[in-house]
Amino acid sequence: MKRILKLNVNGEDLEILVEGHKTLLEVLREDLGLTGTKRGCDLGTCGACTVLVDGRPWLSCLTLAVAVEKKKITTIEGLAQNGKLHPLQNAFIEKGAIQCGFCTPGMILTAKAFLEENPHPSEEEVKRAISGNLCRCTGYVKIVEAILSASGRESRGE
Amino acid sequence: MRLPKFEYIEPKSLKEAVKNLSADPSGTYLLAGGTDLLVNMKFGVITPARIIHLKSIPKLSYIIEEKEAIRIGVLTSLRDLYTSPLIQEKFSILSHAAREVGAYAHQVMGTVGGNLCQGNRCRFYNQSPFWRSVRPPCFKAGGEICHVIKKPRECHSTYCGDLAPALIAMGARVKVLGPQGERIFPLKRLYSFNGKKPLSLRKGEIIKEVIVPQSSGKGVYLKWRWRGSIEFPIVSLALYIEKEDNKISLARVVFSGVGEGPVEASGIEKMLIGKTLDDSIIDSLSREVPQTVSPMRTSIYSPAYKRKMAGILLREGLDRLKWIN
Amino acid sequence: MSEFNVVGKREPMLDAWEKATGKAKYTDDLSLPGMLFGKILRSPLPHAKILKVDLTEALKVPGVKDAISGRDIPKRKYGIVPKAKDEYALAIEKVRYIGDEVAAVVATSPEAAEEAISRIKVEYEELPAVFDPLEAMKPGAPIIHEEVPDNVSATIRKEFGNVAKAFKDSDFIFEDHFETQPVNHCPMEPQAALAMVDHFGKVTLWSSTQIPFFLRRNLATTLDLPESKVRIIKPKVGGGFGQKIDLYAKDFCAAFFAMRTGRPVKFVYDREEVFTCTRQRHPMYIYLKTGVKKDGTILAQQFRVIADGGAYNSTAPLMITLACFFIMLPYRIENLLFEGYHVYTNKPVGGAMRGHGIPQVRFAVETQLDIIAEKIGIDPLELRLKNAFQAGEPHPAKLLVQSCGFSETLKKAAEAIGWREKRGKLPFGRGVGLAGASFPSGVSNMSHISSGAIVKIERDGSVTLLTGAADIGQGAETVISQIVAEELGVRIEDIRITAADTEITPLDPGTFGSGVTLRAGNAARMAARAAKEKLLEAIAEKMEVSPGELEMKNRRIFLRENPDRGFSFEEAIKIYQYSDRPMPIIGRGSYFPPAKEPTTLLHEDGNFSPAYSFMTQAAEVEVDPKTGRVRVLKMVTAHDCGKAINPMLVEGQLEGSVVGGMGQALYENIIMEKGQVLNPNFLDYGIPTAMEIPSIESIEVETNDPEGPFGAKESGEGTQLSPAPAIVNAIYDAIGVRFKTLPVTPDKVLEALEKRER
Ligand SMILES: Cc1cc2nc3c(=O)[nH]c(=O)nc-3n(C[C@H](O)[C@H](O)[C@H](O)COP(=O)(O)OP(=O)(O)OC[C@H]3O[C@@H](n4cnc5c(N)ncnc54)[C@H](O)[C@@H]3O)c2cc1C
Ligand code: SF4
Ligand code: FES
Ligand code: FES
Repeated sequence: MKRILKLNVNGEDLEILVEGHKTLLEVLREDLGLTGTKRGCDLGTCGACTVLVDGRPWLSCLTLAVAVEKKKITTIEGLAQNGKLHPLQNAFIEKGAIQCGFCTPGMILTAKAFLEENPHPSEEEVKRAISGNLCRCTGYVKIVEAILSASGRESRGE
Repeated sequence: MRLPKFEYIEPKSLKEAVKNLSADPSGTYLLAGGTDLLVNMKFGVITPARIIHLKSIPKLSYIIEEKEAIRIGVLTSLRDLYTSPLIQEKFSILSHAAREVGAYAHQVMGTVGGNLCQGNRCRFYNQSPFWRSVRPPCFKAGGEICHVIKKPRECHSTYCGDLAPALIAMGARVKVLGPQGERIFPLKRLYSFNGKKPLSLRKGEIIKEVIVPQSSGKGVYLKWRWRGSIEFPIVSLALYIEKEDNKISLARVVFSGVGEGPVEASGIEKMLIGKTLDDSIIDSLSREVPQTVSPMRTSIYSPAYKRKMAGILLREGLDRLKWIN
Repeated sequence: MSEFNVVGKREPMLDAWEKATGKAKYTDDLSLPGMLFGKILRSPLPHAKILKVDLTEALKVPGVKDAISGRDIPKRKYGIVPKAKDEYALAIEKVRYIGDEVAAVVATSPEAAEEAISRIKVEYEELPAVFDPLEAMKPGAPIIHEEVPDNVSATIRKEFGNVAKAFKDSDFIFEDHFETQPVNHCPMEPQAALAMVDHFGKVTLWSSTQIPFFLRRNLATTLDLPESKVRIIKPKVGGGFGQKIDLYAKDFCAAFFAMRTGRPVKFVYDREEVFTCTRQRHPMYIYLKTGVKKDGTILAQQFRVIADGGAYNSTAPLMITLACFFIMLPYRIENLLFEGYHVYTNKPVGGAMRGHGIPQVRFAVETQLDIIAEKIGIDPLELRLKNAFQAGEPHPAKLLVQSCGFSETLKKAAEAIGWREKRGKLPFGRGVGLAGASFPSGVSNMSHISSGAIVKIERDGSVTLLTGAADIGQGAETVISQIVAEELGVRIEDIRITAADTEITPLDPGTFGSGVTLRAGNAARMAARAAKEKLLEAIAEKMEVSPGELEMKNRRIFLRENPDRGFSFEEAIKIYQYSDRPMPIIGRGSYFPPAKEPTTLLHEDGNFSPAYSFMTQAAEVEVDPKTGRVRVLKMVTAHDCGKAINPMLVEGQLEGSVVGGMGQALYENIIMEKGQVLNPNFLDYGIPTAMEIPSIESIEVETNDPEGPFGAKESGEGTQLSPAPAIVNAIYDAIGVRFKTLPVTPDKVLEALEKRER
């Protein structure tokens, strides 16, 4: 049965008519055209579908869209502000932390949530934080580097 | 992989949820973080007619310290649990266990209640409809026969949660709300050891709170898995001891991943009482463990390997506790 | 100061911005109005005759628009190697493995398609199945393909020198058996396809593919259409590693249903389908016999490999050939006998994967070299250096190795891992090991192997580049743009690239065999040069000098002898236009790898790659004797990639393949029971997470190959060849246990340690 769903995505209030059993991933990709959120496994095992719900990392493939109606949802499309990239996005680009890019949105959002909780993490802490986000291209080396460098940047107020 | 259709309910209170659940207990499922339930629904092994979303109920996420115990709200996320300074300081065994669940996002989404009540796992069951179509449906999935032991009407699916062993080792109790009101009982008794219906909750009951007594002893949680993240335990061990005059006065040894529920090795516990931990005791007890647990071939790891690792974990655990008073 | 402006720079990937902001579009991100969603029904049996497929109930599901089974499709076989075609897009008479495609549906929603699949009724007659290649080779084994009664679908056997005599002359002879496991590529993007048909009947297919032009050919074949009626467009691809080389049922079904229904159709695979129904690295049984002199000189080698191919061929002949050929490098082996067999079994299909048949072989050879070194009392590093092949040496199989930094990679890797201080000297549980390898930069002399490019210099001074090269995340488009920018003396921002669209871009064989940089890079450079020559001619005329006296750099054209005399790029273009020359300025380039010696892969000797890369991996590990857990602490990879056009991307390739290789050594294994994959998911199939990664040091040894563009060779695959043996050798150094079967999981380590104690 379809129902009206009220979502707040990337700061915008939206009303859409969808089936009640749809996952947040399906709604974002198929109903809202926000295809930056990726489907890598659909079973909660790869992290590609990670979005932020009230600022915390959320696997959208294991989330009912109806269950996050009153929350603030941030996808990768909502990260840059007024055309200005988030420091993490810049760091990923400059450090070569992006190859095929399929893990990138989930990775960046996970890192964002994490740095907000822990602005000055150690390398080990970064690795642990992103360990649910699988990447088959980079071997994670440059991803960890990028996150560490962005954490430095944020604290320097850049 | 699409979810099957269902009716979605957002109760305003736990009472309302209990009422909804009691109306049709077999067709209604509770949803907390969803990290376990939704996977099973996608696999088609759970097809609820109705889903009750618990997270719409306010005030079920808390950690409150009292003189005798701490009380943990059932919707407390694993992340909130292990980042709590109180838990880290006084119940490190618990914060360790929670930290080891899945990865970051699972810990943010996953709740204490969902972790305790997560479904038992089996390599023939936690699979897609296509995967399962290779064989007739197993007993747990609605068929007749168990593929693990090739017998009808038995299920030995395995409990693989991380929190339960730690909480049982701490002597935790749970408070549940049901149509007849509240009751409190030891967490240990939540588990029925019936693979097909692993929880002993009665019709319409919902867990509300976990109560962990203040303690004077020491514990460790050791989880064995091959990679440092994502995976469920192959075997894990929660070990808790209290000492008097350097002799063990209370011991709890609880394993995950080796049975139809969290397995308490009471034989080992008895043997520990009155002992001082030294190398020879540790050695002989660890050698006992492989005979005291009897895992089934419900995962890709062999029962023999699980037994062996259970012994190794106990040795490691006792070694670590040896020096602590 | 570097002689280059763009080449050799750490340029971020051109599309990194799009990918970082979620704007990059992969196949599943595309949709078209009225699009239908497809789903495939797969065989639950490993081997069976299809008696009947009943689609009636499926067609009754609301929203379902069409359904087909093997009966409904053109009876045209496809395959990546023309003479080894053995697969129908949907199984026609027989299914040969669990997961083989039986039927397919399309519907207005994915839900309806899933529902419809569950209503299809199939009657099978089950046939005896065989799951082990050694069993499958025995007389009387079930026959999987009628045309191949012995189940051996590709064979290679060659001898160089006099092997029997050389073994007789050897002071020591070593014989060992090795086994390797099936490994899945696990690109993070599951395979997807979207098709549309226009009113002229032309099919356009967007597909997550690494080789658009091959796909066009195979798709046209299976659809029974001329190639001109098929257009393939490659959107962003989320990793491939070889798995996106083949045509899959999703490509065919999307196109075929689009033709039947007149509506756009999309098929996307589940992760489980990626695990079980695409391709995997071939498991192998390897027998290796080596004869050496007392001083360590390798006199002879005999090598037999039996590859478990699963139910179909895919790249079989090529894979088994590469497996055998790359025993010929990086060491000097005058007397060599190799035999390779590719065997059908009722299991998931083997295919190309990063390193393609070679990592398994390197595991055997490099492990045995350490066994040899120990037995005859030589340092493993010395043993390797002693036998290392050198550039310009005559090769027994007539390979033409024009550049070879192998010895240097050995020395540098050893130094970086601390070989002299650590080898044999670390406490119990810690150890170091190393292993070498070589890899081709693309394969010459196969059909369909040339690459083309077009470079247009536009009126506003920008440059348009058309290349067929398929960027699957490795950064090919960036590297090729760098090459063009360098050649034209412009900035990389001046280049606009259009790639991998069979209708618009020139032919390219695609991303495999690590040939992209060399092939497509050379083609693009030739095209850039051709365009540049036209422009220079006009300027030379204006300046009354000869074109040879001019230089193009920093967006200027000037006299080499007197740099102040010249014009800006924009002025030059104006001059060109006013000189009544035809616009636009177009340069074309086509590159065909030279084969300096004649060769077909299987029959004659000769050079089969335009260039060879060389590398050494060194590992330091820590083994916990209590639990058997192995941790890789450090990996060094010294790699002769010719010239790093973009060092940052090269590093990225190295790091990715080192971690992939580590996965193969320690964690990854497709576990099968009677042909069924037990772990088709990321919980039970252990691709390394960030927690497992070692510190990685990459050392680039630049040899500037004469054949490569600006001296570049390859960097994507070679580094995945030897992490496993380096790690396994390090484990031996740590605990004195030798493993000849992969992966080395904690249970095996524990068992081996217990056995040793007893
Ligand atoms: C990739 C992956 C890795 C994982 N790894 C681990 C791991 O390492 N260790 C581990 O323990 N778990 C693991 N899990 C399982 C799961 O994420 C956790 O167990 C999590 O804590 C479950 O909590 P939840 O709130 O998401 O549960 P839900 O999915 O919402 O619920 C789980 C079950 O509990 C029932 N339930 C929920 N709340 C209540 C209540 N208050 N009263 C009664 N019943 C209730 C639900 O009806 C449901 O049947 C993993 C899951 C995934 C997808
Ligand atoms: S133990 Fe047997 S009945 Fe239970 S889930 Fe596994 S196969 Fe099914
Ligand atoms: S798609 Fe959600 S975790 Fe993989
Ligand atoms: S960049 Fe390809 S998966 Fe991470």
